[in-house]
Amino acid sequence: MVVTPSGERVATALGIYEAASERVSLMIVVVGPRTRELASLEPGDRLVLFGPLGNGFDLPALGGDVALVAGGVGLASLLLPAQRLLADGARVHLYYGARTAAALVDAELFASLGARVSLSTDDGTRGHRGYVSELLARDGAGHDGIAACGPSPMLRAVGDVARTLGVRAQLSLEETFACGVGACWGCVVPLARESAQAPAFPLPAPGEAREFVHARICREGPVFWSDELRW
Amino acid sequence: MVTEAAGPDISARLGTLTLSAPTLMGSGCYGSGEEYAPFIDLAQLGGVVLKSVTRWPRLGNDAPRLVPVAGGLLNAIGLQNPGIDAYLANDVAKFADRPCAVIGSVAGFSVDDYADVTERLAARDEIDAIELNISCPNVGHEGETFACDPALAERATRAARAVTGKTLIVKLSPNVTDIASIARVVEDAGADALAVINTVRGMSIDVERVRPRLGNASGGLSGPAIRPIAVLAVWEVARAVRIPIVGQGGIETARDALEFILAGASAISIGTGNFTDPRAPLQVADGLRAYLARRGIARLADIVGAANPGFLGAR
Repeated sequence: MVVTPSGERVATALGIYEAASERVSLMIVVVGPRTRELASLEPGDRLVLFGPLGNGFDLPALGGDVALVAGGVGLASLLLPAQRLLADGARVHLYYGARTAAALVDAELFASLGARVSLSTDDGTRGHRGYVSELLARDGAGHDGIAACGPSPMLRAVGDVARTLGVRAQLSLEETFACGVGACWGCVVPLARESAQAPAFPLPAPGEAREFVHARICREGPVFWSDELRW
Repeated sequence: MVTEAAGPDISARLGTLTLSAPTLMGSGCYGSGEEYAPFIDLAQLGGVVLKSVTRWPRLGNDAPRLVPVAGGLLNAIGLQNPGIDAYLANDVAKFADRPCAVIGSVAGFSVDDYADVTERLAARDEIDAIELNISCPNVGHEGETFACDPALAERATRAARAVTGKTLIVKLSPNVTDIASIARVVEDAGADALAVINTVRGMSIDVERVRPRLGNASGGLSGPAIRPIAVLAVWEVARAVRIPIVGQGGIETARDALEFILAGASAISIGTGNFTDPRAPLQVADGLRAYLARRGIARLADIVGAANPGFLGAR
């Protein structure tokens, strides 16, 4: 979580994009006042940064042939996993989609690390014209596991494709966060009661019983198995 | 105990409870405290008001539950909690070695709920005091009804008073015509202190999707946007009752806290302010000490209500 100097009333959740010795980098797309403020920082400016928070991708559970699926700035959460998977000898195929060619950044970086890279754009200016989930549906049959990060509609589509392919997928979710540490219960997603990640919670009162519990994206997540989400 | 060398005394008393610092962490914003332990020394806090617990488990409201708005945050969590049975069995023991005061928060939908949950929670040694949440705006109208109806506020307070001798704080709603009259009734019913205020009801609408942004449609507004509303509420309540007030609503800095204290609050509570900076409570405590030292005042209690000519409480 990062708090910008002007102090908006919520912190912004950001993944660490790159990490090397004492330096970390964050990937930011400017979409509003908070991200504009972050992007305008100069060397020497100070940020309130706290973390790491939540879980990460369970890389060993993805197997030896892994599909990484990124939508837009969701790519930010996938570089470190790609590096680790490749270092451990896994095959990595990055499926990476964005609105337009100009928004596809660092595809070459992943390719240079040894990942196979497939691209898509909504407007067809680069790669497949359409959604990245369509690429995954077309080419993703041989993978042992899928790890995805991006906007919620994309993640839902990746979950659907994963079910069709018979491959399990880990999805890294995002919501509006307030505390980021599991205290406020603001960032919840419905999760199957039987999930290992479900917070300990007895059955609710008569009349309120449903087959899911609300798990905190910041605490139990942000990464969940798609077949355990009830969203 | 605070010595002369340590600077001004910023301790605060609420009923029989003495806080080493006047800084409470607002219910629902701080979980059970352990969530923030990696980021802050809990021993530096006056106390943590735990997330509200109800008689039965509650799933809470559908997402989205949070909407950032200008100067604040709208929320509609809906009192998600495991229910008092599981809470007593699994959670309360963890508060045993807490280095600050631990205040249990009780929410309910009937007078019996308030009595039953208060009795069982207050009976535990790990709980130093009880806050009665009669003002949650996010559970239909059943929850807030208690804080908006003088007769129900009185009955809920009496019911809780009858089952515990520990400090009883009653949290009032700003969503009323005359908060002072409710405060008077709750004082008469036996409350030891008042928490002023809970969130202000509000709504935000997504104009592209043509529907409210919150899953619950309406929510409670917190943060600096409501601070002037809360300061006035403390001012008015402080002219109506003699029991101590815990001021809250958008406090992020010592200057914010001082507005409440000078209006008549003996202690303050920080909720949303923790989200922008988890160190806020420490900075508030340091800033209060610095303010008192600069003015040559020995005790924070000496300036409670100093700006309010109608302040009725004891200092």
